[in-house]
Amino acid sequence: MANAKNARHHIVIGSGVAGSQAAETLREREPDARVTILTLSSLLFYNRYDLPKVFRGHRDWREFLAFPAEYYKDYRIEVRRCSRVAGVDGSRRSITLEHKEEIRFDTLLVASGGRGYIPEELVEFRPLMHPFASYTEAVTAASVVPDRGHVIMLGGDMIGLDLARTLIDTRHRVTLVAGPQTFWPHEVTDDERPGLIAALENMGVEVVEGADAGGIASIEQGAKGLSARRVLFKDGTELYGDVVMPFFGLSPSVEFMLGSGTDIERGLLVNPALRTTGEGIYAAGDVCQIWSDAEKRYRFFYGWKNVRAMGDLAARNITGGDEPWVPAQDEQLHISDDGKIQSPFWEYE
Amino acid sequence: MGEIKPPTGEPGGPAAAQREYLSDDPRDIGWVRQNVPCQTACPAGTNVPVYIREIIERQYGRSYETNREANVLPGILGRICSRPCEDQCRHGWPGNGEPVAICHLKRVAADMKDAGHRITESLYSPTGKRVAIVGAGPAGVAAAHDLSLLGHDVVIFEREERAGGMLRYGIPEFRLPRDTLDIELHNALRLGVQMRTGAEIGNGEGQIPMAKLEQEFDAVLLATGCIAASPLPLQGDWEKRELRGMEGVEYGLDFLVQMHRGVKKVVGKRVAVVGAGFTALDCARVAARLGAQEVTIHIRTAEEYIPVTQEEIFEAKREGVRIKGLRTPVGLTAEGNRLTGIEFVQNRLGGWRAGGRRQAIPIEGSEFHEPCDTIIIAIGQQTVNDFLGTKLELDRWGNVRVGEDGMTSHKGIFAAGDYVNGASTVIQAVGHGRKVAKRIDAWLMGRERRKQVVRIVPVEQPLRERAFDFIPRQHMPTAPLGERMKDGKHEVELGLDETLAFEEAKRCYLCNLRYQIDVDRCIFCRACIEVAPRNCIKLVRGVEVNDDGAYGKLLETKEWNQVGAIWIDNNECIRCGQCFKACPVQCISISRCELTEVEI
Repeated sequence: MANAKNARHHIVIGSGVAGSQAAETLREREPDARVTILTLSSLLFYNRYDLPKVFRGHRDWREFLAFPAEYYKDYRIEVRRCSRVAGVDGSRRSITLEHKEEIRFDTLLVASGGRGYIPEELVEFRPLMHPFASYTEAVTAASVVPDRGHVIMLGGDMIGLDLARTLIDTRHRVTLVAGPQTFWPHEVTDDERPGLIAALENMGVEVVEGADAGGIASIEQGAKGLSARRVLFKDGTELYGDVVMPFFGLSPSVEFMLGSGTDIERGLLVNPALRTTGEGIYAAGDVCQIWSDAEKRYRFFYGWKNVRAMGDLAARNITGGDEPWVPAQDEQLHISDDGKIQSPFWEYE
Repeated sequence: MGEIKPPTGEPGGPAAAQREYLSDDPRDIGWVRQNVPCQTACPAGTNVPVYIREIIERQYGRSYETNREANVLPGILGRICSRPCEDQCRHGWPGNGEPVAICHLKRVAADMKDAGHRITESLYSPTGKRVAIVGAGPAGVAAAHDLSLLGHDVVIFEREERAGGMLRYGIPEFRLPRDTLDIELHNALRLGVQMRTGAEIGNGEGQIPMAKLEQEFDAVLLATGCIAASPLPLQGDWEKRELRGMEGVEYGLDFLVQMHRGVKKVVGKRVAVVGAGFTALDCARVAARLGAQEVTIHIRTAEEYIPVTQEEIFEAKREGVRIKGLRTPVGLTAEGNRLTGIEFVQNRLGGWRAGGRRQAIPIEGSEFHEPCDTIIIAIGQQTVNDFLGTKLELDRWGNVRVGEDGMTSHKGIFAAGDYVNGASTVIQAVGHGRKVAKRIDAWLMGRERRKQVVRIVPVEQPLRERAFDFIPRQHMPTAPLGERMKDGKHEVELGLDETLAFEEAKRCYLCNLRYQIDVDRCIFCRACIEVAPRNCIKLVRGVEVNDDGAYGKLLETKEWNQVGAIWIDNNECIRCGQCFKACPVQCISISRCELTEVEI
């Protein structure tokens, strides 16, 4: 039996669905190990799928937590919040935090997820947009949208469209500026797209095809007496709204892994057992591209069920397993008999 | 490892540093090479800390001249340099933040100098020697400038209608405005260099044979660069098929050269660029300006490993260019003679190749297809030797082989730049052109006429404040997308204004400042150690001396009875000046150490 001196130290970067599930599995499979979660967040694990609730008046952060603080105590999982990882040295098996502290690990699971991607041509307008990727951002966005206010949604990935359902339900006006990322991460064919757009319109979402207007020229602050935001298109047309929210899919959070000795393309490249090319380093969730033998390419797998299953699998493989990744959910976008969009990415427990 | 010496004080130490003087002590030269990483990394040896300090003093003209001492084209390199200096900048070392925007500051010096700025050149008497240079690209121009300063009569033979080589014909105007190029070339060549454009060397009709140059000149320098686009290696039926002439197929270098010669270029709606260097990125951005609706750069490895600056990648993406990694083209698809797409194979990342590039390993059975109407092949460039007429020894890559003296296997014929080294960067070409010019001079004159020394100048107080270390890197303002895409010429990077330049310049650690403790006066109170922001002041029992005579590793100790000195580790030191201010007995001195050249 391991003692405090020879117990392994498993570090998990990220306290989202994948990271939290992994920590739990690590504890269950290796009771004596030291398990540490490093997270940028000031909150313990909360489910981002619940965030649309802020538009229904739920603003208390305690309502969003997946587990009470006692859970981590009971599971002996150390959670270090507000910890930004500055770098990882795979050869020395050490992590450096932004405040220069160095932490050694025996195994590392990177589950840092993704942040909302903003196309480079719109980056300069970032200060005028309201992202929706964290509890803080969600509360900020909800607080600036007036009752029955008008939300201009750019991109329209499935995270955004999930929010749109809530916004329509709470009598907000939603205008979607659709583009290539609409319905992301679903890969929608040209044949499927018109039916899906029509379903959105039936839902109450007003849809503007961004390409038809030549693309977005600028996002501006509205003038006094007008709405807070103006989206100007290259053909001269414009949209006014109370808030502009970008939903262009996710971009993996891997910057701190550059120079770590692990291979990165867009995300961390892992084999089907979720091992990176760095010794003792694994990855799970939205941050990794998994080699698919069937498709002969590295690809991302999204969705709550997939991400949780990845966290669990990575932990099992860290603790001696050697199982390959098998997707845990289907990826098909459907329109139900009553004309509503049904996406597996909206399903979570 | 060389001998180990007790720390008995350094050359140019506190006692000596009461006055300005020149030193050829290898320890001083070694100190600069070790401690001024930006200058060491610059192939031309640009004195970066000095020119940045001059920007802080708002002496833009002087800063421009400091640049010109090493790199005769600051206004150009301040825009398009590949920035090896920034990769090595101490401010970018782990824990120190982001590197200083050295390149942007170079441009500040060039752009903000007075309109009537007086150029300073130190001229040698005429030697009566004549040198022919073939090629008016960066290597040829840099060599021509230096050789003319040294008193030789220089004639450049350039096959194109205008001088500049790849600067003019390979780099788009939105990165390098042609008025800037013209001014910089004019400044470099105004000392009597004869420029013969439209003069092609070769054995054909209307061409000038090499033999004629050999007869008429005392030395010939070949600086023709890499002017042939490398072919795309494909597989199967496509392996031996000639792609030139196929509708929708372009070679990147030819595409750019033709466009800059005035040929109207057209691309399809969906453009695929294959390649990972500056040429590939330039082609993609040009295609976007020519009206392509979808431009994708396909690379063999991943974005992390492509040898272009992050800023260039970001700007290309802002313009709508997408980058897709881990793929190698293995074939094309076509309808008749018209391209319809590319067959790729999926790659995984392999080990490291020589030269620091990542290997890509194709995965068997992972082929896939991507449709496109135009492919621009930009996977590299090669030298062309068929103009020579004279047989020269080549290396295995087909580049001409030169000796230590820069001379080819043929007496009196020298070579420089990409023509020797293969496709590289503009600053490498400039640096190599200068180096070879010096060797040509030595060969013509029968002796070296200049040597490198360190100028050591006492400095009375720290030139920086600790607060400067926390200034974030200032970002380059850029033209709005709408404006830049209107035509192919609108410069994208607008340059730092005076306020941004001043803030950015303050970030430079001024690594050429040498902080030293006078051991004889030190009272070992540790006050300096207490205020040091890093582990930069050390108790040592000795210092290793490298084989080249420069100081090496510090031999630290924590035992007081072994302490030979309290020593400032200039490698760790960020020149904040805290130790200088804290010392109660003023035993810390500061001197500025600059590499320079003097007559022998």
